[in-house]
Amino acid sequence: MSAHNESILREPLITGTNITYSKITDDVLVPVENKPNMAWWIGFGIALTLALTWVVAISYTFWVGLGVWGLNKTVGWAWDITGFVWWVGIGHAGTLISAVLLLFRQNWRNSINRSAEAMTIFAVICAATYIIAHMGRPWLAYWVFPLPNQFGSLWVNFNSPLIWDVFAISTYFSVSLVFWYTGLLPDIATIRDRASGFRRKVYSILSFGWAGSVKNWQRFESVSLILAGISTPLVLSVHTIVSMDFATSLEPGWHTTIFPPYFVAGAIFSGFAMVQTLLLIARKVMKWENYITMFHIESMNIVIIVTGSIVGVAYLTELFVAWYSGVEYEQYAFLNRISGPYWWAYWSMMTCNVISPQLFWFKKIRTSIWASWVLSIVVNIGMWFERFVIIVTSLHRDYLPSSWAMFYPTPIDILLFVGSIGVFFTLFLLFLRVLPGIAMAEVKLLLKTSSDQAKQKLIREGTIDAEQAEYYQQSLEKFDSVSKSDYAKT
Amino acid sequence: MKSNKKYWKGLEELKSSSDFVEKNKNEFAEEIPLEDVLSEGGLNSVTPRRDFLKALGFGLGAVSLAACQTAPIRKSIPYLIKPEEITPGVANYYVSSFHGQSILVKTREGRPIKIEANPAGLFENTGTDAVTQAAVLDLYDVSKLKGPVLNKAEVTWDNMDLYVKGELNKLQASGKKIRLVSATVTSPSTKAVIADFITQFPNTMHVQVDAVSYSGVLQANAASFGKAVLPRYRFDRADVIVSVAADFLGTWIAGEEYSRQYVGNRNSKSLKKGKMSRHIQFETGMSMTGTNADSRIPVKPSEQGPAIIALYNEVTGSTLSGAEGLSANAVANTAIKLAAKELVQARGRALVVCGSNDVSMQTLVNAINSSLGSYGTTIDLDNPHLNYAGNDAVFASFISEMNRGEVGAVFLLNTNPAYSYFNARAFTDALSKVPLRVSFSDREDETASLCNVLAPNSNFLESWGDESAVDGYYTVVQPTINPVFNTRQAEQSLLAWSSNSQKNYYQYVKSYWEKNILPTAGKSWKQLLQTGFAYTGEKPAGTYVFSASLPAIAQTIVTQSKTLAKDIEIHLYQSMSMRDGRYANNAFLQELPDPVSKVTWDNYAAVAPKYAEEQGWSEFDKIEIKGANGHSITLPVLLQPGQARGTISIAVGYGREKPGQIGKVGENAYPFATSTNGSIRFFNTATVTKTGEKYELAQTQTHHSYEGRDIVRETSFASYVKDPHSGTGKHAGGHHEYDLWPEHKKIGHNWVMAIDLNACTGCGACIVACNVENNIPVVGRDEVRNRREMHWLRIDRYYSFKEGEKSVTEEKEIEKLENMDDISVVHQPMLCQHCDHAPCETVCPVIATMHSSDGLNHMAYNRCVGTRYCANNCPYKVRRFNWFNYWNDSRFDNYLNNEFTQLLLNPDVTTRSRGVMEKCSMCIQRIQAGRLKAKLEKRPLVDGEIQMACQQACSANAIIFGDLNDPNSAVSNELRNERTYYVLEEINTQPGVGYQTKVRNVVEA
Repeated sequence: MSAHNESILREPLITGTNITYSKITDDVLVPVENKPNMAWWIGFGIALTLALTWVVAISYTFWVGLGVWGLNKTVGWAWDITGFVWWVGIGHAGTLISAVLLLFRQNWRNSINRSAEAMTIFAVICAATYIIAHMGRPWLAYWVFPLPNQFGSLWVNFNSPLIWDVFAISTYFSVSLVFWYTGLLPDIATIRDRASGFRRKVYSILSFGWAGSVKNWQRFESVSLILAGISTPLVLSVHTIVSMDFATSLEPGWHTTIFPPYFVAGAIFSGFAMVQTLLLIARKVMKWENYITMFHIESMNIVIIVTGSIVGVAYLTELFVAWYSGVEYEQYAFLNRISGPYWWAYWSMMTCNVISPQLFWFKKIRTSIWASWVLSIVVNIGMWFERFVIIVTSLHRDYLPSSWAMFYPTPIDILLFVGSIGVFFTLFLLFLRVLPGIAMAEVKLLLKTSSDQAKQKLIREGTIDAEQAEYYQQSLEKFDSVSKSDYAKT
Repeated sequence: MKSNKKYWKGLEELKSSSDFVEKNKNEFAEEIPLEDVLSEGGLNSVTPRRDFLKALGFGLGAVSLAACQTAPIRKSIPYLIKPEEITPGVANYYVSSFHGQSILVKTREGRPIKIEANPAGLFENTGTDAVTQAAVLDLYDVSKLKGPVLNKAEVTWDNMDLYVKGELNKLQASGKKIRLVSATVTSPSTKAVIADFITQFPNTMHVQVDAVSYSGVLQANAASFGKAVLPRYRFDRADVIVSVAADFLGTWIAGEEYSRQYVGNRNSKSLKKGKMSRHIQFETGMSMTGTNADSRIPVKPSEQGPAIIALYNEVTGSTLSGAEGLSANAVANTAIKLAAKELVQARGRALVVCGSNDVSMQTLVNAINSSLGSYGTTIDLDNPHLNYAGNDAVFASFISEMNRGEVGAVFLLNTNPAYSYFNARAFTDALSKVPLRVSFSDREDETASLCNVLAPNSNFLESWGDESAVDGYYTVVQPTINPVFNTRQAEQSLLAWSSNSQKNYYQYVKSYWEKNILPTAGKSWKQLLQTGFAYTGEKPAGTYVFSASLPAIAQTIVTQSKTLAKDIEIHLYQSMSMRDGRYANNAFLQELPDPVSKVTWDNYAAVAPKYAEEQGWSEFDKIEIKGANGHSITLPVLLQPGQARGTISIAVGYGREKPGQIGKVGENAYPFATSTNGSIRFFNTATVTKTGEKYELAQTQTHHSYEGRDIVRETSFASYVKDPHSGTGKHAGGHHEYDLWPEHKKIGHNWVMAIDLNACTGCGACIVACNVENNIPVVGRDEVRNRREMHWLRIDRYYSFKEGEKSVTEEKEIEKLENMDDISVVHQPMLCQHCDHAPCETVCPVIATMHSSDGLNHMAYNRCVGTRYCANNCPYKVRRFNWFNYWNDSRFDNYLNNEFTQLLLNPDVTTRSRGVMEKCSMCIQRIQAGRLKAKLEKRPLVDGEIQMACQQACSANAIIFGDLNDPNSAVSNELRNERTYYVLEEINTQPGVGYQTKVRNVVEA
């Protein structure tokens, strides 16, 4: 963004020697401009198979009826809404990274925002499929929109949190999509300029005639800023509203005012975990270690530990408030979570979401790629359980004990969930093939100021305090993309 | 006068030029260039723009018109000549009779769709039992025979008549015996037909046999008082009731009548008067009656005899030996002493009943009642019940007759001994020696399939006839539809075969009544058909004194008890829905949860939880039960709190081999019954082995304690007398209500309901009534296991236990209890509460559920998209979701998937498609019909004019519906009652259904 020198005390956002603008382009566009390798095909094959499973499972559901799921008269939502909230939550990191971190001038977002936003969009698509699928009569799903109609001009119920949800999710989806696409324009133009033939034509259309002029860039920056401004409240609103599906109800275990912040924190928590899961593989397979560095990984792990702790505090607060409220139904709901028939779900959630992220307090663990990846998966398992616990264990034993029931998933429930993961990965893998997984233009912005080579240059120029230079060099130790030998002489 | 004026249309005509005349000869004055257009030149010419547009417009219009698909054609045939009494859309009611009680049959467009009690009927005929409610389904049962069958071939009735008559004449000549075997016939006309038949064929005898027999009671009364009758018990006159294993509110003799009498001394009206009867029950299995008792003490079958001896000793102060058989059961021992004291105090207002079919035990009970002065007060021997006259000994000798080859023909009417006789093998073997075997069964059941002549009897809804279940009370059966299948009334067949001078059974019934009954009752035939019954008056109940010698009887009881007191004791009982097994193919009854265990679609081995623990059995373990007589069945275990330890209770009526399409469920327990001293007793001893398999029973309720929650509120009678508010949880400040949304204004009506927990016995008639009225689908065993039954109205049943003075209601503490015998039960009907602050209404995204201006919570099926949010947010969990297209999906082939049973559907209520939520609508179709009727008659609605289906079916009047805006309505009165509380009122849902506290007449320590 600016041409001044960044403090040497800050860790580099780009590592590697001899990184040039064109090298960045070359590195990032490897998957886009070349035939896919074996790893991609294997991954895509698996994802597509799962996605087809999803098609089968959802078609069967639509054809036969919702009875093919494990729901019953007491538990009206289970894996469907668990899946929905889980995916919406995952979709949270994208906008947070692209919008909030942009407003806070967190430049490290530049390397990860593209994939994170793509992930957001695909996750919201997956979530939306659940909204449709969980309806008894999905062919009438459009009735949830306030469309003018001839059914005696029936309107939607603006009191219903589900309607708020419809607005929240659709707004979130459209704004995220626009934001993502706007950010893509310079990069698409880059691909266009390097492509030929039909590909060039397609990317030419997709680039909306981006010319790279100063005026283009100026407008690009202002639009980004405006969209970031619009998106920021959405980051909070979407999951707040999703949480209101539960919070505004009467169910013990749902009816609680802590839900909005707790859900937002949980969403960011799971979103970052998913970004971590995806990018740790992507950087390895695409050899993007210089752009998505250990600093990024560690930063995300720190976000995970912070949000994970917020979530943990929320869990404990819920327990305290249940006890303090003196309401027997509330107390029972939480006692039942801890020690009822679904105790294993609660303790899986507690272990995965509260205890395991605390391991990131150890620098060794939060800078270990394997540990980060494993824990990111653990967090997402934990977050799935969180939603399951909230939804199923609250519903299955509420006010009247006569109606208490258990929920057991059917194979269709399971296939639909596993299938939705397949849909997500299919979309993500296709995305990696056709669009740059790292925002090239934005990364290039950092090359002159925040890259390791820029900082090394400063050190070599001798304008830096030796102590600070030493500190900087030491900070590089954790980077797996920086080899020590390169700087032995300094 | 001829006018010579000339009118002309134009100057040309006036001038009448020659070319004008020439032109005018043609139809079109100007020539149409048709030939030009159609010629080659014309066709090749360039189409002008206007023509093109015209053609385009026409073409488009034509195509789009042609493309409009016509709606699917459904042929309906309008009445060519409309029957005078049928107006489409308006129901007709006919009086008829079922199980000896007068009923109203609702028919729509000629098809019976619902049965109600005839409120004019005697004995406070305000409701029916579940079986009566469900009986209308049997009319359309496709498993029934479609016509007469002779030697496995379908024949015409005429051919069958020829054959049977021929055979009968041959038998007449050979002198072989003819036996007409039936369940108890209460119909005077049928009895007359049989008598005529006997006159024609004098070697005929009528053998009556009841699957569940009362011959022990009949014999005991004959021995004690010289009257072989089932007395009319008067629970309404009894202040203290002690029942030893008699399920008198359910399946024993006349459960509905007894329920009304019993509840009359315990409901809110009685409590208002400061009166409540006390009921002590000694029994083995947990019966519905037991759940209503104030004190209930589990006793083994082998302890029932000693208990009666002990009770006799305590009441009369005598010292019959045998009471020591109870010594092992300390609780029962003490309870007997206390019960005796209470009985004696209430002399003349006390009643002891016993469910056993054993002559000795019944005789001893007669002795107790006699010494309590019950005869003439609480027991009436002079207006007896006539509904069970079967004699076990006569049936046994009939089997020997067949075995000896003396019987040439057997006619089987309403009876199925091949299934329900304890020694069915003996019966079937003997039957095979009879050459002519005629069955009147409506289906090819276990017995009918052994017969060579199947002459299917018509359903009672297709028949003429009469019944007299209580002495002097005659009810008429009149048909409400032509026979659905090619069936014929059994009486008609008998008339035809005995060459009776009266060929027509309708005429026969009519003339019988005109000759024998109507003159005494002072009614005309027409009046009878309008009112449904005739009563020749109640005879004064005489007092009877017991004066036989007892030691020998006591000795018999002791001997019998000792034979029972080994291994594990089996107790057989009738379930509320299946009864003796004849309703096995009725889907409504199969899916009606048992009032106590809440199990549907199966029978099971009920075992006390602690005893099961000792034996190493857990719930749903399949155990093999081998009776002392060698019969063995495998059944799943059901842990039944309150069951006597060391016993297993099994329902008869299950395990039918040939009931029809859906009724083949459970295992047959009849063979465990034994014949002792000439009467069949439903006890045995057995050894049990665990098979290691599991079988999940389909229960509609799986959690049985109410966890100390405020949803059930109860008090003791003593506390109630001190403070009628006791137990309601009301406090000085009252209940604050807050509104977030604008308040619903209820101008006009405000429909609400009051449910008296002290009146509800838990029988479940309301559930079936609701099912039939509202076209609620039967979902089948697997879907019930999935917890997806569709019942809009359910009866929640909660257990609580007493440990010393403390009431234990929480599951965790119950698990720790040493003794689970002191059990209290509450039945709580639960349906949509029609909350003023309905949690379901705010959350529906598409406003498919909303509040009406008369206080109801509406459900617009058409608008529902099926998010199920409303059901999740309903604290009462009364909303039901259509997971599948239950009423039209071959996988749920329980009853609705054929053209016959679909005739049962109530046309006023839509069937719900898959993906739609449904729930209690407060029978909105009934409300609407009532309002329209009042409107047409230009008058305000009268309180009580509109009745809910559940309310109408409830014999106990536990449910009252009405308008809260009318301060004088019955429901307003009830809701003002001190006992009223609202379930979950603390969460401010402001329910429209109020409950009244359960009051138990327990002895306070």
